[in-house]
Amino acid sequence: MLRNYIKIALRNLSRHKAYSVINVLGLAIGIASCLLLYIVVRYENSYDTFQPNYSRIMHVVTADKFPDGMVYNSGVPFPMADALRADYPSIKTGAIFASPGSQVTVLNSNKNDNKFIERNGLFYCEPQFFEVFQYNFLAGNAKVLAEPNTVLLSKDMAVKYFGDWKTAIGRLLRIDNALTLKVSAIIDNVPGHSDFPLKIVGSFAAMKTAAATYGYEPTWFGMTSNYQVFMLLPPGITQAAIETQLKQSNVKFYGAHAYTKRTHLLQPLSDIHFDTDFSNFGDHITSKSKLLTLTLIGVLIIVMACINFVNLSTAKAVTRSREVGVRKVLGSSRKQLFWQMMGETALMVFIATALALLIAALALPYIKNIMTIQETLSILRTDILLFVLAGIIVVTFLSGIYPSLILSGFTPALALKNKITSATVGGISLRRGLVITQFAISQVLIIGTIVAVSQMDFISKADLGFNKDAVLVLNANTDSAAISRQAAFKQRLLQLPGVQSVTFSSDVPQSDNDWQTNFSYDHRPDEKYSIDLKFADPDYFKTFGLRFLAGRPFALADTINEVVVNQTLLAKLHVAKPADAIGKQIRIGTAPWKNIVGVVQDFKTNSLRESVKPVFISTRKKYYSVTSVKLHSANVLQAPQAIQAEWNKFFPEYANTASFLDKSIENYYQQEGQLSLVYKIFAALAIFISCLGLYGLVSFMAVQKTKEVGIRKVLGAGVGHIIYLFSKEFTLLILAAFIVAAPVAYFLMHNWLENFVFRIDIGAGVFAAAILTSVIIAWLTVGFKAVKAAYVNPVKSLKSE
Amino acid sequence: MIKITALEKFYRTEEVETIALNKLSIEVKEGEFVAIMGPSGCGKSTLLNILGLLDDPDGGSYLFNGTEVAHFNERKRADLRKHNIGFVFQSFNLIDELTVFENVELPLIYTGVPSSERVSRVEKVLDKMQIMHRRNHYPQQLSGGQQQRVAVARAVVNNPKLILADEPTGNLDSSNGNEVMELLTDLNEQGTTIIMVTHSEHDARYSHRIIRLLDGQTVVENIMI
Repeated sequence: MLRNYIKIALRNLSRHKAYSVINVLGLAIGIASCLLLYIVVRYENSYDTFQPNYSRIMHVVTADKFPDGMVYNSGVPFPMADALRADYPSIKTGAIFASPGSQVTVLNSNKNDNKFIERNGLFYCEPQFFEVFQYNFLAGNAKVLAEPNTVLLSKDMAVKYFGDWKTAIGRLLRIDNALTLKVSAIIDNVPGHSDFPLKIVGSFAAMKTAAATYGYEPTWFGMTSNYQVFMLLPPGITQAAIETQLKQSNVKFYGAHAYTKRTHLLQPLSDIHFDTDFSNFGDHITSKSKLLTLTLIGVLIIVMACINFVNLSTAKAVTRSREVGVRKVLGSSRKQLFWQMMGETALMVFIATALALLIAALALPYIKNIMTIQETLSILRTDILLFVLAGIIVVTFLSGIYPSLILSGFTPALALKNKITSATVGGISLRRGLVITQFAISQVLIIGTIVAVSQMDFISKADLGFNKDAVLVLNANTDSAAISRQAAFKQRLLQLPGVQSVTFSSDVPQSDNDWQTNFSYDHRPDEKYSIDLKFADPDYFKTFGLRFLAGRPFALADTINEVVVNQTLLAKLHVAKPADAIGKQIRIGTAPWKNIVGVVQDFKTNSLRESVKPVFISTRKKYYSVTSVKLHSANVLQAPQAIQAEWNKFFPEYANTASFLDKSIENYYQQEGQLSLVYKIFAALAIFISCLGLYGLVSFMAVQKTKEVGIRKVLGAGVGHIIYLFSKEFTLLILAAFIVAAPVAYFLMHNWLENFVFRIDIGAGVFAAAILTSVIIAWLTVGFKAVKAAYVNPVKSLKSE
Repeated sequence: MIKITALEKFYRTEEVETIALNKLSIEVKEGEFVAIMGPSGCGKSTLLNILGLLDDPDGGSYLFNGTEVAHFNERKRADLRKHNIGFVFQSFNLIDELTVFENVELPLIYTGVPSSERVSRVEKVLDKMQIMHRRNHYPQQLSGGQQQRVAVARAVVNNPKLILADEPTGNLDSSNGNEVMELLTDLNEQGTTIIMVTHSEHDARYSHRIIRLLDGQTVVENIMI
């Protein structure tokens, strides 16, 4: 019996090739999309789950309450780890300090290129950190970090620096030209799905000896997100219990001068990869809503593929009515027929799945690239294969049950006489409903895509209030020796062809740095919000094209002397005219009062997700770690080499890190860019799947309407009439789908745009474009078949009945 | 073997109710060969469908071998059908995706005959219908007469007690038609009861008895000698 079913299923597949291709391809694309999204979502959810104590590791974080909302920080003050160990001796607590962008110099290297800038992965850790987090040691152990001048390396880093990790032990590395550390242990490479990409881990004790380089100040009144503390809660001790006790410890930590608005909370390790309130040491945070969006897209696409299948199978059921009739006459029960049809569905789903696995395997490298997944992904994993198996079952049932019930339910007397027509099969309204659902889904995706793409476009073209083009940015540390060479370096750069201006500063105008402090204006008490600090030489304004609303740039000085502020600060201070601020005094922290000499038009200080912050710009040479070089646009290709050559001459101990500012700004929106790309890809797939389905349906419609078309033509209908006959219904269905899709899409995308302070409005144009796109696509799909049907000789079409 | 009493069947559309069978009573004994004749729309096919348990009557009684089957559910009807009744249609109704052999094998599959036995039984009946040499062909590759021989082979492979034939020669030329009628006569002589709907007086002459229907009622019964 089973053999008979498989045989007839296979013969059916090969006899109705177009139908089979449409059905299998639609399902395969749907399953492949779903599978790829599953792989991505699963990967994102797997971050750090390999830690044996995953569920018990807690990150101690800081929350400060300000009048305009909470400010969260992943870091804590430096004394925190010791204080926690004193208060909770039974809880394992360890600290880690990240030093992104540090320079590693391999000492006694025979290679010329012995300096490396490590964008991430360089940390200083207490040995206790390794009691909380577990890593596999290939040589040595975490105890070496108790000594002051030791460093441990990941296997890959050891190979990168020394060629072979086995010979690395005992070798010396110089970090940031400040510390010389001996390699004392090797750990296995940390998997890519970790927000703790430990590659070079120096001893925390060593970092303390270079306090100036790393801004280490063991007081309760400074804080950096680079210093983080983790606790391993013993079983039975809850997060809430520790948080309550931390609240009570506030006065002890901060004394009489207590930051009453500050609380320290615990963030579970399982939240670190998803919580956008806090930063992490990894290369990205994936919000749960993004994962939800991806999951939803996956579900929608598979639903669309199933709808296709149901629509096509029920439409095709008509042509199989005779077979069903014969089988019933010969004694088949409804149940046997039902399972025969289900079996055929399963076979198709199975073939589609095999194809989907192939598609997914081919697409995986691209997906990895789009989603910045660093780890090798493979389809041949137990959980993925289980997912596929579950998928086969679910899709078979979703797609198969309805057509199988319909087919097996045919009355044999009618079925044998070919009296079953599409009008009597399963109700046209259900099939219409399914087509509407399908179009609604693709329209939601189309609208989503248009909005996401427009927003990304808006951001990339947004007026940032400063000039980001053709500015080359070089980073170095702020050691006094390097700073003393800056003036000569600048003179030399200005002599190079193509260099327009050069400025040294603590930061570029827009970055994710957040150096803030309390301040007061015009001898008033401290304001209740903080101000962003940027230190620079006077050429900063010229180099970045900042526009003055009043006053002038400050004069050259080595320390804070004159001050320039931005428009937002004046708005917050309720100063009506920029000119009114000129000559007023401002003070940061407890420093002396200084004169405001200029007010610049607002420029975007952070990502466009955030609003512009009040900014204080002044001179202070010791913080100038960034060199920005404005180039003539004609020289952007050649000038960087010359600049690099000069850099190597002036700062031989520093690696060259030149990068163009516009590129780094693009990186702030990587997440949004990825999401908009994902929208584009999957919207295109969804549209393709619905087109396939539509094409299939119209094909059947054409067969069934053969007689009608013939009669109409005999009665004088032209080609136009016939095409109208075919397109009318689908156009109406698309309009109905639009009524469903528009509000849903508006709601979803409106929420997404809330992530941006600077955003586009969702105008009527977006909706018009969406409906126009779907109508045009549907017409093109339907048109081909309709024209073909319209041109058939009526004599032929009438005879065929 | 078959006894129907006051059998009724109506077809309803929104406004019109058509009476297909109007309190029809017929009895067919085991081993009989009965022809049913009448003009188009007189209820011949409806009657055959009900006798073959492909359709429900709206009223009356249908005794099959003494059992009331008029209101059997779908499962019971399928069961009774596959063990007792073979069908031959005007348009053959072979499954295009299956070969001659597989088409004939189908009823045996549904009655759960083991594979080895199926092969010998199908071969035997194909041999008898002189269509053995076409066993691996598909229906489209056969002539009408050959297709109907396959259909007859399929109808008898299960050794049914009753064969219902709906204009079995309607799509055939006269020589092929005669061959099929000879086949049916042979089967009848071997003990199979046959009820055949036909428009052809010629074919009807092969039967023992002709029942003529008009507007869903028996108008006359001719006993053939």
